[in-house]
Amino acid sequence: MAQNEMLLRVDNLSVAYGHINALKEVNLEVYRVEIVVLIGANGAGKTTLLETSLGINAPQAGVITFKGKTISGVPADRNVRAGLCLVPEGRGVFASMSVLDNLLLGAHHNIKNVGKNLKRVYQWFPRLEERKSQIARTLSGGERQMLAIARALMSAPELIMVDEPSLGLAPIIVNDIFDILVHLNQEGYTILLSEQNAYKSLKCAHRGYVLETGKVTLSGSAAQLLNDPGVREAYIGA
Amino acid sequence: MQVFIAQVINGLSLGSIYVLLATGFNLLLLVAMIIHFAYPQVVVFSMYIAWVVLRYTGNSIVLAVLAAILSSVLLNVISAPLFQKIMKNREEVDINTTMVMSLGIGMIITDILSHGFNKGLPIAFPPKLVGETPILRVGLISLMGGQVASLAVGVIAVSGIFLLLYKTRPGRAFRAIAEDPNGARLVGIPLLRTGLESYALSGILGGLIAVLLAMLLGYSSPGLGEQVAHKVLAVSIIAGLGNLAGGLVVGLALGIMEALVQGYISGSWSNAIAFVVMLLVILFRPRGLFGIKL
Amino acid sequence: MSLAMYYFLTISAVYILMSWALYLPYRLAHLHFLTVANMLISGYLAGYLVQSHGFPFALALVAGFTAGGLVGYIVSLFIDDAPTFTVVIVGFTFIYISRTAVENIKAVGATMGMFGLPMVAGTPNAHRLTILILVYALVVVVGFLIYRFEHSRVGRAASVMFVDKDLATSMGVDIKKLGRLVQTFSSLIAGGCGVIYGFIYRSYHLDFFTFHLVGIFMTVIFVGGYTTMWGSLLAAPALYGLSLILPPAVASWRIVIYGAILIAVLVLKPEGFITRRLAYTLETTLSRWRKR
Repeated sequence: MAQNEMLLRVDNLSVAYGHINALKEVNLEVYRVEIVVLIGANGAGKTTLLETSLGINAPQAGVITFKGKTISGVPADRNVRAGLCLVPEGRGVFASMSVLDNLLLGAHHNIKNVGKNLKRVYQWFPRLEERKSQIARTLSGGERQMLAIARALMSAPELIMVDEPSLGLAPIIVNDIFDILVHLNQEGYTILLSEQNAYKSLKCAHRGYVLETGKVTLSGSAAQLLNDPGVREAYIGA
Repeated sequence: MQVFIAQVINGLSLGSIYVLLATGFNLLLLVAMIIHFAYPQVVVFSMYIAWVVLRYTGNSIVLAVLAAILSSVLLNVISAPLFQKIMKNREEVDINTTMVMSLGIGMIITDILSHGFNKGLPIAFPPKLVGETPILRVGLISLMGGQVASLAVGVIAVSGIFLLLYKTRPGRAFRAIAEDPNGARLVGIPLLRTGLESYALSGILGGLIAVLLAMLLGYSSPGLGEQVAHKVLAVSIIAGLGNLAGGLVVGLALGIMEALVQGYISGSWSNAIAFVVMLLVILFRPRGLFGIKL
Repeated sequence: MSLAMYYFLTISAVYILMSWALYLPYRLAHLHFLTVANMLISGYLAGYLVQSHGFPFALALVAGFTAGGLVGYIVSLFIDDAPTFTVVIVGFTFIYISRTAVENIKAVGATMGMFGLPMVAGTPNAHRLTILILVYALVVVVGFLIYRFEHSRVGRAASVMFVDKDLATSMGVDIKKLGRLVQTFSSLIAGGCGVIYGFIYRSYHLDFFTFHLVGIFMTVIFVGGYTTMWGSLLAAPALYGLSLILPPAVASWRIVIYGAILIAVLVLKPEGFITRRLAYTLETTLSRWRKR
């Protein structure tokens, strides 16, 4: 059934940068139309996991499959074309290019449907349509995050990976961003999210994994993790 | 007044050639991540190829243009793997090694031209290319049809390249890599393939420039490559390395200034301007007038 | 000795000196091409002083060294800690400007050059012997100085600069002062070389000081190995000798051959033939041998 189809599967993944082991035997699954959260502190390996899944690095060991096909070691642009995308940490928008150009870059591998996707994205983010000729540098932090998500949507992805969306944003804006992610999920997008802000992200996710120094130390439903005393102490501060 | 107009036209043609050269150079710098000191020598080599083709095909301009473009694209594409091999990574320019490599390539090209073509003597392009009689003649200044044609083509080429960069899909990819190679990768832009595309594009530009230079100057020589190379570097440095828009302004300005000096002051002082200004900028504003965009 | 041998020995020595003049600043990541301009300026200066003002050779040589050092010092005030690219461009520009100046100045022969410079000693043989001894004495002195520099505390810290300028600064290296010192020294040597180069042929011509020289010296350091001084010492006579033993038809393409060798070395053996490790092993074996 489409509802339960496994979209992304990370199997025993180990990634090292030189002598530094960033990820050690990580296992992770993402099913269709769910929101999965990766919780962890700085340096836990969240970005490495997302970037390796996208195809930026090749793993030392382990396999990553997307829609049943192996993607570990496959270059990023092929994976983007296959329906995977990443909204990088720090927004990753091209500051010297216009909003429209940024969006069009998102559609780089899906240029055939660009008109349709652009219209849809503008419906989601009317403020971006207003500012479409503006240089991205002039956008506020929250608008940039929206632009980054919108850009990801332009490739009509099936799985959207978002790296620390709340970083550097005011709490009100963070709420807006999470609302957007929830709405996207309701529209049918699958989301894999990495966050330091455990509370808000677990509140809107279905399942979560806790990553500590490269290893998955805990996993379960969002509710389970929210109530786990260890998680509460380390990441929620309750 | 007529001198002024003639020289401005001259200056704009020369300027647009400088802009195209600087843009080709900057593209390689920003997208292929190399410093290609010998890019102008590649252009001059293409001029020679065009000359050979003109001689053997009874002055067929179309074939010559195609040959020029083909030869510079080929030269670029052949040197691409050499550059790739010595680069450390694809996200940053390795200035030292790519510079030395391109100096080596330049040495080879210049010397091949000195030995392999016309016994090292300058080559002249058929008068038909430059224009047989001047369109305009004032005192010592005369304006040839070829010069006006080169201005027209030059303007079209400059507009073309900037249109490509700012309004098309491959152009966006180039600019994305130019701004942030890592970010470009994250959006799924293939760095290697796009880098190779930039070799090809600057090759096409190079061939065009070769034709324009042939029309404007009417001659070529092995030493022309070095002279032009230094001018192009001057433009890039004065504008700021990697600054495409800055290169446009400085290239045109330099062309016009040189032409005006040539028109009003005798001697070969026009060449000196570029160098003196470049020296001053390097020493006092090392980031260039408009800022480095590396 | 035969004339051919004389030219081989003397020109090789000049090549060694000029390569060292380029090698030393490159330890600080500076491709100091100004040195070729120094050759030209000091060479023509010395030739002019000797021919038009009857200066004795020795005095003209000193003038050449001084001019080199002076120009090098003044320019270094601006580029002592500049990025490599800038140093290269400044060097090229000076080469271009000085060539253009000489082209237009009648007093130094303009495009014709200077000919028939007086001999350094009484007879042609004495002249050649003097030059030979002089140039090799220079090789020994400069080689010694560079060796001592590299094995001094400052020299070792300076070699870090090639890898990481900030790291070097944190090790207490005053980058600007070191840059000025090294560039001035190189330009000084280059000035002297320019003078000697002309007196080997007893003439000066613009064709002696072209951008080809830049290519040749670059090939020597990169093929020999840019991390040690021994690379240039061996590569200079080897590469120059190569162009002499090749049949004339091939030899006229020597710049292409040098360029090809340079590119091949960059791709296949980036550190050159005499790598740092090799030099270190050689030096330790030599010192162990000496102690026995």
